[in-house]
Amino acid sequence: MRRAHEVNFFVKLLLASLIMVAAWLAPSWIIGWAIALAVVALLGATRVPGLRGYLKGGLLLVALVMGTWTVNLTLQGLPLDAALATAARMAARLIATTGAFFFVMETSTPGSILAACSAARLPSMATLVLSLVFGVIPMLREEFERIGDAQRARGMEIDGVPLPTRLRFALARGVPLLVQAVRMAHAISISLAIYGYDTRHKRSTWRHVGLMVEARLPLPERSP
Amino acid sequence: MLEVDSLTVSFGSATPAVEGASLTLAEGDGLLVCGATGAGKSTLLAAAAGLVPRLVRQAAFSGSVRLDDRPLADRTTAELFAQMGIVLQNLDDQLWDLGVEDLIAFPLENRGGEREAIRARVSELLLALGLDGLRGRRVLTLSGGERRMVALAASLALVPRLLVLDEPTTGLDPAARLRLVETLSRLRNAIPMLLIAEQDAAPLLGVASRIAFMHDAVLADGVATAGAMQGDRAWLEAGVLPPRRPRHRRAACTGGRTLLGVAGLRTARARGDGAPVLRDVAFEVGAGEVVGLIGRNGAGKTTLVQTMLGLIKAAAGGVALAGEDAAGWTPARRARRIGYVPQNMRRVLFNLTVREELLSALTGSTRATADAALAERVQAVLARYGLGATGEASPFGLSTRQQALLGLACVDCTSADVAVLDEPLLARDLEGRRMLEGFLDRLTAGGRGAMLISHDLELIDDVTDRTLILDDGRIVFDGPTAQAWDSAAFAGLGWPAPHFAEAA
Repeated sequence: MRRAHEVNFFVKLLLASLIMVAAWLAPSWIIGWAIALAVVALLGATRVPGLRGYLKGGLLLVALVMGTWTVNLTLQGLPLDAALATAARMAARLIATTGAFFFVMETSTPGSILAACSAARLPSMATLVLSLVFGVIPMLREEFERIGDAQRARGMEIDGVPLPTRLRFALARGVPLLVQAVRMAHAISISLAIYGYDTRHKRSTWRHVGLMVEARLPLPERSP
Repeated sequence: MLEVDSLTVSFGSATPAVEGASLTLAEGDGLLVCGATGAGKSTLLAAAAGLVPRLVRQAAFSGSVRLDDRPLADRTTAELFAQMGIVLQNLDDQLWDLGVEDLIAFPLENRGGEREAIRARVSELLLALGLDGLRGRRVLTLSGGERRMVALAASLALVPRLLVLDEPTTGLDPAARLRLVETLSRLRNAIPMLLIAEQDAAPLLGVASRIAFMHDAVLADGVATAGAMQGDRAWLEAGVLPPRRPRHRRAACTGGRTLLGVAGLRTARARGDGAPVLRDVAFEVGAGEVVGLIGRNGAGKTTLVQTMLGLIKAAAGGVALAGEDAAGWTPARRARRIGYVPQNMRRVLFNLTVREELLSALTGSTRATADAALAERVQAVLARYGLGATGEASPFGLSTRQQALLGLACVDCTSADVAVLDEPLLARDLEGRRMLEGFLDRLTAGGRGAMLISHDLELIDDVTDRTLILDDGRIVFDGPTAQAWDSAAFAGLGWPAPHFAEAA
């Protein structure tokens, strides 16, 4: 199932958009949740990186939406069962949407996005924007985790401590994350310049691109 | 021809980073610039390659840099970098999250090359540099040495007129260094000019025709490589260890009670073929002992440290700290016993000032404190490592050398039983080596131990009592350093033994 990661970025984007539309048009909360659970099952089956973190965030999101929407709608005079159904429908839409785009984001490397864009002969500026938007977010997430590991490696007790302490350490990651984000932007701009990225010229790709994007270059057979 | 004339570059401090430097590189020339960390080598190379002033902001820039009789400033960015191959010292400054093949192909793709031609060139470079095993990997997941070789391959993709390499052997194991030198030697006919900055000159002597020493921002005239090897004086004046010097070993220690014990360690993390990165790893570090760890690039040395710290899950085996089983310990609790100094200190900094970094190392917290005794202690430790004036500076703004010293200072002021130093970038310049040896002496005199991970075999020979060789996921040699170089395990690595001159 990990082969699903190698599906062309634009195909993933199209499928994610279709899932989002289906979830938002679902006529009932039951169908909405069927779609949402199918998306989560797909994430699990394809072993998407960072799934555990996504599930934690997703559960928090569902709890918040269910709680706030139910209270709000009940206060507006809707019967409890109707309020619950509406809240559940909204939660399902959000899970299906975020889950589908989480898959796109986590399984599309900047290299595979560059390849898909280059093969589609998109203008270099559009190629760059798509690669950075979808490629940098996982990099920043990894950076956030890495800084957490750095705090642990420097003896900061951030595991198994009360929530306020954990929050304080998480906030302390903001400064290095910001510094790292600036450095990352600098590194990307240096890299683009020294390797000749020019927004005025269309670029090519070493990869074979179709429904799938080639992930690894096969080496030519060596003569005996 | 490259001509640098009266170049002065300053980044805002009172003293310039480069002052009045001039050099000429003719077709077929290779120049090796040697000097201590902070001498100005990287700035000189960045200016020669056109990065400064085009891409890096500086306070002052004067003088001229011309390539083939045209000033670099007269060329467009695309035109300029089509003729330059560049590998920076800190690879984090030029890499982002691309795949190995993506990075090597990047310069060719960006210029709209034909797919089959790009694939052929990438294949050729992968094979020439021994990188075929890294295909399909993300560059940022590679070890430091692997990243450097991939960046080198990318810089060669277009066959540049001028190849600029800043400390190219950093993080490379001896076999990778040999591959680097072989590749450069093979390419000398295709690449007209080669400009290298390096503290560890010995491996690169064969590819450079001249050496120019740089000291305190001033570049001396280049001399023929053979001439520079005649004596030690020029090297010592430039603040770097001469390449062929007599052996200088620290006083040996047999080790006291066990401070760190690793037994039957197997990682859950696996390689591409499914084999665990580490399997059945066992060793000990005793009180007063300095233990070296060597192994190929990507052998799992950093994974071993991360597993000892509990940052990576062990599938089997355990770690004991001062006789206590650390199985149920959090990484932070382990880290208070194992002081870790990674190669790239930027990766473990997270405070706004140098003083706060040291305070958080001391207290295990990021909370502010008004304790005068603590502040005094912090200042004393900073002064010991030549960082006394940097207390209020941002740790991210320090030079690479200062960050490495900050790493030592952080461990020095804690009560960690064992320090783990991962390829310290201090070993080749005299002042850095003095600080490093002082750190190890203080540590061992206090009954603590150290583990030194390095590809610099002369450093391992100089300062360690015992050496571990990690190969194929296991410790295949554990014995006195003096015996390591004659062992079958070391022979299996296929590396040359450390080379020393006969004592006078």
